[in-house]
Amino acid sequence: MPVDSPPGFQSPLILEALPTPALPGDQCPRRAKTQLDLLLLAIEALDLTSSEVMLEIARELGLESVIKGRVNLWLLRSTNPMRRYSQRRPMQIEEAKALVILTAHQCRRLTVLMRQLLMGYHQLQEQQLSPHHHLRLADYLNRFRSHFRSRMNPQRAGVIVYNTDEKLDQLAIALLEQMLLCSGVLGPQRLWSSLFDGEVL
Amino acid sequence: MTVKRQYTLPYCQLILEGLTASGNDSHSPLTVLMNVECYLPGTTQGSLSGGREFLDSLVAAVSRYGQQLLSGVTVPAKAAPTEPPWVDLKSGPDSCHHLLVRSQPLDHSPLVSPEDLIPVDIPLSTVQFHDLMEAVDQLLADTQTLPDLTAQFQALPRRLVKPSIAFSQQALPATLGAVALAAAGLAFFFIPPPQIKPAKSSQRQSPALVSTASGQPPALAAASSPAITAPEQLALLQRDLTQRLQSNWKPHPAPSQNLVYRLSVAADGDIVAYKYTTHQALQEVDRTPLPQLSFDPVATANPSQEPTAQFRATFTPTAAVRVEPWSAAGTLTPVAKAELPEITSPLKAGDRIRQLNAGLYDQLLARAKPLSTSEPLTYRVRLNQTGIIVAYQPVTATAGLLARETPLPALAAAPDQASSDPQADFKVVFTATGVPQVNPWDGWP
Repeated sequence: MPVDSPPGFQSPLILEALPTPALPGDQCPRRAKTQLDLLLLAIEALDLTSSEVMLEIARELGLESVIKGRVNLWLLRSTNPMRRYSQRRPMQIEEAKALVILTAHQCRRLTVLMRQLLMGYHQLQEQQLSPHHHLRLADYLNRFRSHFRSRMNPQRAGVIVYNTDEKLDQLAIALLEQMLLCSGVLGPQRLWSSLFDGEVL
Repeated sequence: MTVKRQYTLPYCQLILEGLTASGNDSHSPLTVLMNVECYLPGTTQGSLSGGREFLDSLVAAVSRYGQQLLSGVTVPAKAAPTEPPWVDLKSGPDSCHHLLVRSQPLDHSPLVSPEDLIPVDIPLSTVQFHDLMEAVDQLLADTQTLPDLTAQFQALPRRLVKPSIAFSQQALPATLGAVALAAAGLAFFFIPPPQIKPAKSSQRQSPALVSTASGQPPALAAASSPAITAPEQLALLQRDLTQRLQSNWKPHPAPSQNLVYRLSVAADGDIVAYKYTTHQALQEVDRTPLPQLSFDPVATANPSQEPTAQFRATFTPTAAVRVEPWSAAGTLTPVAKAELPEITSPLKAGDRIRQLNAGLYDQLLARAKPLSTSEPLTYRVRLNQTGIIVAYQPVTATAGLLARETPLPALAAAPDQASSDPQADFKVVFTATGVPQVNPWDGWP
């Protein structure tokens, strides 16, 4: 039977696990865009190869129709309004879902490392020592600081808040904890619904 | 049959005991829960246990708190909860997560309500909490255990979330604005409104107002604008004014009597204002050329302060126009009589005329002094046969005005001589240096 029109866009099945929230518009809220980009930034600080791995994971999970490539991924992450070269394009719900799936997969891959870092951090805190006594943790914090400062626009109010090393370290630790929490079995769902806290109708 | 499901993680072990749906098949789902045990190694409280209520409360608390950690949005405490939950999770001042558990005492005493129990506080590190949440997640995801217990993730609705800025802070700018507006209003209330003064009428009265016959004589710009006093300029203005009035006047219905007006003339010859002196003059003003000739000052808001000269213009019934300076100051009136009468007995002797001419020249030259004008002044001077000046008449207007600068008034004698004496007229012209030129009026004999 001849087909007149090409098959329409079908969202990958894996995205069906995440329910579409009842948002007032059809775009992602601002906080969701910021949160996703910051999580990916923390993953990059943890694992330098993560950007390549992300594209591989996207291929494995069949998300190529949403995450079309390196440039597309960069554009998606640049919807974060804190970015130095922030793109004013909206982030569609499907794209956010794909990013959540990718983030959760990356987190699961890095679970062991994150547990080590957080346990070390907890021990250092009990001894009232700075996190820089833990070699691997200090490495992560340094890299996160440099990534953050090189990519975020220092003029934005959301970035000015993190103007000292201590505040940036706090942010990095908080992101590390959040990454650990989305590494579980239901991690993608938990992360997904947390993105829209206070945004749904 | 009784089955036991176990979810083991490094820092948490969750064990559920219950009955399967079908009696003998150990692979059928666990549907009836009998007991739950939760071991938390490495914490102050080793183990927790409870029934279905405890499990439901644990799942709800872990889900809520986990979402709060991920999103950073705190759930507002519901107003007056009917019953405190068996399990609750709170964040503490230290970076620990506090698990608050109210558990039933293990001795089989009668059931007590949760609010009577003092909760046990178990601090958990993030990794420990993650293990607890992961155990709960595995239980939720397990379809073989309690299939009715599934994950219910729901984002917080917007109306439940406290705004990040308190209402008092949000209302502060608006309140400040309203207060400032009220204060400004109060301040302006005490400031009197500005008095609007009517614009001053122009110094130059519009001639249109004159012809409306309003009965009020228009004000002339005599008071404030400076007067022109230079005599030669006055003379020029007078001559120019006479010519213009005469040429523009069409006296076909001649006025029944003299129409006298007071004119104000600017230095360039414009008639800037005029004013009637009699009632007749007012009524017949439209017959005179004054309304057409007068310069209408447009910019009345800027009253001109240019110097003006005042003249009296008289339109006579014989269709003549006379213009003379208004201020009858003696300095400016011509000294001599207007017109010399005809000589009744003219001197005929040529020798005597030559002698008189030379004598007059000598007299005038002896008293010559520079004049204030560059224009030559011409006079008609009448001598009797003895050489005494009996009369003189200025020929030009300037000469009439500047007669006092010449020696003529000093030399002129009172005309007591009988007019029957032989007399002769001479034309005397004073140049700017005061040097006279004298010639017989009727030409050399």
